[in-house]
Amino acid sequence: MGNPALCVAGQRRGKLRIGALILAYAFVAITTTSLAGFSETAGTTYRVVIEQMRFDPPVLTVHRGDRVVWVNKDLFPHTVTGMSKAFDSHEISPNASWSYVAGQTGRYRYLCTLHTTMRGTLIVQ
Amino acid sequence: MKLISAALFGALTLTSFPGWAQSAGPTDPQIAAIVVTANQVDIDAGKLAESTTKSKDVKAFAQRMVTDHSGVNKAATDLVHKLGVTPEDNPTSQSLKQGGDANLANLKTLKGPQFDRAYIDHEVTYHESVLDALDKTLIPNAQNAELKALLVKVRPAFVAHLEHAKHLQAELGKSGG
Repeated sequence: MGNPALCVAGQRRGKLRIGALILAYAFVAITTTSLAGFSETAGTTYRVVIEQMRFDPPVLTVHRGDRVVWVNKDLFPHTVTGMSKAFDSHEISPNASWSYVAGQTGRYRYLCTLHTTMRGTLIVQ
Repeated sequence: MKLISAALFGALTLTSFPGWAQSAGPTDPQIAAIVVTANQVDIDAGKLAESTTKSKDVKAFAQRMVTDHSGVNKAATDLVHKLGVTPEDNPTSQSLKQGGDANLANLKTLKGPQFDRAYIDHEVTYHESVLDALDKTLIPNAQNAELKALLVKVRPAFVAHLEHAKHLQAELGKSGG
């Protein structure tokens, strides 16, 4: 019954649909896996509060890929500037913040270039 | 002139700040006026120094004073509005204003290294006086918790400014300026 040519074409379309579905599942599986992998490698976020002319905590240890957010709770601008120039926030306004993703291991001493008595250390493991 | 100015400012602040110790101490509206005036005096001196000095370091210090004390004054003014307090002029705020005016008048007669030294010398004396006032008069007498917290919050800035001014004072002394 019916046109055999059409039937073959229908079977092909069916196979194509199944193939497309398998591909779609595979794609979802891959992206889900890779997204999960990404969130794992994105690391932890740490917070350093700048207040009363201090970095708190003054010494922070993180791992590569972790993010550090400095929040300025003072009434005037500050900077977070690596003494080796590894990083520099430039001026962080009051109630603003600046974040940095630790890329390379090392011990980074930093200061506020506007108030050079303010010192901190970021250790990246 | 520098010594006269420093002595005048010292006399004004010394006669007025400890005066509170024997009496009941300033009220919150009086403390608000003292804080705003103390900051404004240093902002005005900083603005003059920014436009007068030829020294990169003195200019950077002056800019810092203008920015930081403006930030403190903005917070103080915002708090005063929030609390519905009207700053009340008093002998201490008046003497601070007079001391500030005398300092500006003196600085305007000076140039070059003489200006830098007079400005920085005064900044050292000023920050010492304000810290003394914060510790002995303003913080202990502040009744409102938010006002007291603001005074405590800004204290370390005055300490850092004093250290910075002393460092510059030593540098200017070394250079013979």
